[in-house]
Amino acid sequence: MPAKILLAVVGLLAIVLYFSTYIVDEREKALLFRLGEIVESDIEPGLHFKYPLINNAEVFDARILTLNARPESFLTVEKKNVTVDFFAKWRIRDVSQYYRATRGDERNAQSRLSQIMKDGLRNEFGKRTIQQAVSGERSEIMNVLRGKANSLAEELGIEVVDVRVSRIDLPDDVSGAVYSRMRAERNRVARDFRARGMEEAERIRARADRERTEIVAGAYRDAEKIRGDGDAKSASTYAEAYNADPEFYAFLRSISAYESAFGGSDTLVLEPDSEFFNYFGQQGGN
Amino acid sequence: MPWNQSNGERDPWKADGQGPPDLFDFFRKLFSGGGGGFGKFGSLNIGLVAALVVAVWLFSGIYIISEGQRGVELRFGSYSMTTLPGPHWHIPWPVETVEEVDVDRIRSAQNQSHMLTQDENIVEVELAVQYRIKDASDYLFHVRLPDVAEDFRDQSVGTLFQVMESALREVVGKSRMDFILGEGRAEIAAMIKQLMQQVLDDYESGLEVVTVNLQQSQPPEAVQGAFADAIKAREDEIRFINEAETYSNGIIPQARGEAARMMQEATAYREKVIANSEGEAQRFLKLHEEYRKAPKVTRKRLYLQAMQSVLSNSNKVMVDVEGGNNIFYLPLDRLMKGGDGRSSSTPPSGASEGASSDGASSMRDNVSSQVRQAIRGARENRNAR
Repeated sequence: MPAKILLAVVGLLAIVLYFSTYIVDEREKALLFRLGEIVESDIEPGLHFKYPLINNAEVFDARILTLNARPESFLTVEKKNVTVDFFAKWRIRDVSQYYRATRGDERNAQSRLSQIMKDGLRNEFGKRTIQQAVSGERSEIMNVLRGKANSLAEELGIEVVDVRVSRIDLPDDVSGAVYSRMRAERNRVARDFRARGMEEAERIRARADRERTEIVAGAYRDAEKIRGDGDAKSASTYAEAYNADPEFYAFLRSISAYESAFGGSDTLVLEPDSEFFNYFGQQGGN
Repeated sequence: MPWNQSNGERDPWKADGQGPPDLFDFFRKLFSGGGGGFGKFGSLNIGLVAALVVAVWLFSGIYIISEGQRGVELRFGSYSMTTLPGPHWHIPWPVETVEEVDVDRIRSAQNQSHMLTQDENIVEVELAVQYRIKDASDYLFHVRLPDVAEDFRDQSVGTLFQVMESALREVVGKSRMDFILGEGRAEIAAMIKQLMQQVLDDYESGLEVVTVNLQQSQPPEAVQGAFADAIKAREDEIRFINEAETYSNGIIPQARGEAARMMQEATAYREKVIANSEGEAQRFLKLHEEYRKAPKVTRKRLYLQAMQSVLSNSNKVMVDVEGGNNIFYLPLDRLMKGGDGRSSSTPPSGASEGASSDGASSMRDNVSSQVRQAIRGARENRNAR
């Protein structure tokens, strides 16, 4: 029965093949053990062979993993309590070291890493003000933490790719103080705007008033000059004419003044010895 | 040829009367036939089946990548190649496997939260990020949970979301509040995009940030009133200035008009006095010319004319007494009062003089008669002397 034998052989071969090979995914790194002892590490992705029963392989996630710890409170240098949320990105660098240090348990690695990070953050925040931590030296903190984490991560066989502080929040009571400061600040700005507006408005009004006064005064000056011209001209005209006979002018001007000086309501008390009455008292008119 | 022969061999098996052959029987017969001494024909059967199996197996390696996707082929778990849209073939399982990745689909993530600014204020920012996968193999292999699809409940466990939040807070933390709320929105979005892309590239996550929108940036609710007032104050500033401009625009042209009126009036005055003076001068000169021809008569005439006009237009009291008579009483106050009453009750036109105020004129007549009596008395005195 060669066909049956063939079948059996093929089956056996398949079983042997199954037990003597292992596949490492692109996402993974593998360790090969011989009776519990690591014989090969950092095995590349692909198909690999091993002795059945004697060897066994374990695979670990070689991708970048996330340590996302719970938000934690830290004291800053001005003794304000800030809540900091951060995450770290790490991956296995040395699989055998990682295995020895953590027995291949990811949670184990995470908790140790998290401890390192929190210590580091506590130190860094303790040295800084909120303002420095929030803005100026945020990336510096992250770099320091990355360095610190990496030196300690060496023994875990991992590599900390990145440490990022995501949120730095003030506790509620401090937030309230911030809000009232912001309000005060806005009020200041608002008052400033209004005051500036009034200042400018007053300036404009004053300028307008000044211009008006100047315009009117200038016009008055010019107008008076014109009137003066008129007066002068008329005076010279009069003088020129009346100089022809000053005495006659005096006479004329006087009688015209009499005419206009005495109106209807005036009462004149007369004695008949003026020139007008020359003939008044004489009989016969001579 | 072997096909025919094998067919020929089948007949006797069917004659065994084992019913309709199912696959199992088929195989069993195939192998038993092989074992039955007909080695040559048996191996042919095995070859046929093997070929069929191989064909099916090979056929199972055909796959189609639709538009907007990429296929990532893995050979024994190890990355071999990325395939483009269209039909493809891979060495079938278990040698090669294919994973399909949506590369062109735009995905999005949103985040809204309070955060601190550089000047220690708190702002509320809503950020939306659109991203896509730019490299399918990086996306699959380098980061665990590169992103979490939108419809999942918690996007925040995805790397993209974490990077977004940290970049947002880092950029906001480095900017001043006025900048974030005001002119800096676009710039902040650009900075966030750049920072996110840099971090995602560091992770080799295979993700590409397409757009970052700062959808909303506003002060927290607790202080919005004060902010609104500040904005109103800015409007007020402009309003105050505008009102002042209005005032200014109102009075300056008015002043110019007033000035023009003053000039015109002055000019009018000048022209008037000059014209008057010229007229009067001419009149004088003309009269004087005639006067010179007959000075005495003209003079007399002018004088009498004027006196006549004076005396005919006013009340008069003739006192025809010589000096030395001191007891002569003129009730001047009553005369003046009469004049006052007259002037207040009637217009001072000469035409209506006599008719208008009987009371006044009768009183005047009264006064005149008194005066006349006094004068008569005085005359009698004089005559008696």
